Amino acid sequence: MRLGFIGFIVLAAVSSASALAADANHGKELFLACAACHTEKADALGPSLKGIVGRKAASLDTFRYSPAMQRSNITWTEANLREYLMDPQTKVKGNRMPFSGMPNRADVDDLIAHLVTLK
Amino acid sequence: MVTKLNEVDCVIIGVGLTGAMLAKEMTMAGLTVVGLERGPDRRPNEEFVLPRIRDELRYQTRMELMADNSVDTVTFRNTSDMTALPIRRWGAFLPGEGVGGTSNHWGGSHWRYLPTDFKIRSVITEKYGARAIPEDMTIQDWPVTYDELEPYYDKFDKLCGVSGKAGNLKGQKIEGGNIFEGPRSDEYPSKPLKSSAGALMVAEAAKSLGYHPFPAPFAAPSAPYTNIYGVTLGACEYCGFCGRNSCEANAKASGTINVMPVLRNEPKFQLRTHAFASKLNYDRQAKRVTSVFYTDMNTGEEYEQPANIVILAGFVFTNTQMLLHSGIGQPYDPRTGRGLVGKNYCYQFEAPATAFFENKNLSPFMGAPGDAVVFDDFNGESFDHTGLGFFGGGYVRAGSGASPPIGGRDVPPETPSWGSKWKAETVKWYYGVVDFNTQGSVYANRANYMDLDPTYKDSLGRPLIRMTYNGTENDHKMSAYLLTKVEACIKAMNPSVYEVRPRPKMFTVVPYQSTHNTGGTMMGSTPGNSVVNRYQQAWDAHNLFIMGASTFPQQPGYNPTGTLGALAYWSVDKIKSSYLNNPGPLVQA
Repeated sequence: MRLGFIGFIVLAAVSSASALAADANHGKELFLACAACHTEKADALGPSLKGIVGRKAASLDTFRYSPAMQRSNITWTEANLREYLMDPQTKVKGNRMPFSGMPNRADVDDLIAHLVTLK
Repeated sequence: MVTKLNEVDCVIIGVGLTGAMLAKEMTMAGLTVVGLERGPDRRPNEEFVLPRIRDELRYQTRMELMADNSVDTVTFRNTSDMTALPIRRWGAFLPGEGVGGTSNHWGGSHWRYLPTDFKIRSVITEKYGARAIPEDMTIQDWPVTYDELEPYYDKFDKLCGVSGKAGNLKGQKIEGGNIFEGPRSDEYPSKPLKSSAGALMVAEAAKSLGYHPFPAPFAAPSAPYTNIYGVTLGACEYCGFCGRNSCEANAKASGTINVMPVLRNEPKFQLRTHAFASKLNYDRQAKRVTSVFYTDMNTGEEYEQPANIVILAGFVFTNTQMLLHSGIGQPYDPRTGRGLVGKNYCYQFEAPATAFFENKNLSPFMGAPGDAVVFDDFNGESFDHTGLGFFGGGYVRAGSGASPPIGGRDVPPETPSWGSKWKAETVKWYYGVVDFNTQGSVYANRANYMDLDPTYKDSLGRPLIRMTYNGTENDHKMSAYLLTKVEACIKAMNPSVYEVRPRPKMFTVVPYQSTHNTGGTMMGSTPGNSVVNRYQQAWDAHNLFIMGASTFPQQPGYNPTGTLGALAYWSVDKIKSSYLNNPGPLVQA
């Protein structure tokens, strides 16, 4: 119990430190996995991610979103993006993105640091 | 009335993977290209998206991506004394239709043939004597070598973003890859996929028997990859719905995913869908094809499209049928052995086995064809055939991934096919199944061929293509030999139950076996032994090129797609470097 508690503190410290030290360059590398579908092209498989941070979910006219995403009523804050990227189907059940999520919290933070730069 | 259109530089019949690749290469060379596709357009962002793409009933069971049998099909009989009947619903093999063709729904098994496969007649004769090859085994050497094709294999790998592990890099054998393969100039573009739990069990068993297992090469990258045309591919997501379906993750190679996104932007390319090409206009005197006739399947209107270069890039049946309908070349006659169009039809000889493990959870609900392992110790001339009574061989492939909810329900032999007992057995075994498949060679036989059916016609009124095919004694012996290796491997794994399923003596067009049909417009060294030369240029019409597995003289023990892609690149390279400047035969007859 006691060990577990210490473990929790250590984990929390590590994760907040990694959030602070998020590496946008690493995030840019990770973004390659997203870029196979999320492009600016008209026939892209995923919606454009320009300006994604702070945008309301399912708000682009150019992309046909899933009903789940349309109903989600989410704004893509960094916190929401973090939860979504770690487990897309838990955050927005029934959404159509064929991606099972990123298990590593530090990777997610790095990716978000890159997403912030997409304007 | 036939509307005659303005001449273009090049017409390609069939906009599948090969057709799209060729259109891209020809437009890059500055040519105007028209692509005629019988089926509909297919756009991944409209059609291959969640959730519909995981509709197993729609795609796997009802086969939405396959050619429409009510428009055109194949008639079948086992032997030439039988009357053939049309295949009204695809079974053993599944030709696709629409932009992307069969590549939309293929399994992505991506292979090269062995260097010895390309000179098989010479190699067998040299090793086992001049009289070793049975008289009815009509195999012949390819007019092209592995070394000549290697750069084009490499290019095709880099189009598809193939994942895998090299076993022979520039002559250096590498443990963990396929040590029997020919030398590669480069590693696979992408690392192998993760192996399924069942595949890892098989790898261990195969190693204990002295075999050399390796991860199955797969035409989808394991990490994002940008291909030779600048198309970024996604990583395989192990969704489990590959077979008979396209890809939701923009990963599995196809004409639609790997080429069309850039080809659509090409101003010199014009795509015409629902365009059913019916006949080539052949000028026998000039030895040229002057135009292509096609019917718009939406309006019924007929068109004539003149062109400088005509490329057949359809399925094996379509390519062969087009020559027969157009009076190009001499139809093959099995009684006399004369004639070449339709000759050396081969159908890949596969035989499966299944091992059942009680109380094991192999997570079969996910996976991809690339999560299997293969051992290739008994393929082609990689092993000694002395005293075996057959030639050829094949690979053994096994794994536990990708068992979809309807189709992935293996149950042990003797289980009823419906009812409560079947349900109970399905539940009991679903998680613990390891599937094996042997993918064997087919060494052409003079009795197996294609010609035009005397009775049945397609929706345009043309005679259907007729296949006359049965597995030969050689094929059955080869397959039985491979199954003994499979059985040894299964026994080493100590399953609760297992079943080995040899092919029945009489071939039937159900159930599904493989879509690997080859031959009919075979390639060779002279007009006397082939329909096309080493650049897949028709001997009888120098501006007619035939691409695809219809040009294979026989079928080695691997899936054909890797080689037909390499051959397409090899041929189009020659068209660009020689033919465009100096139109005429690229090989003197």
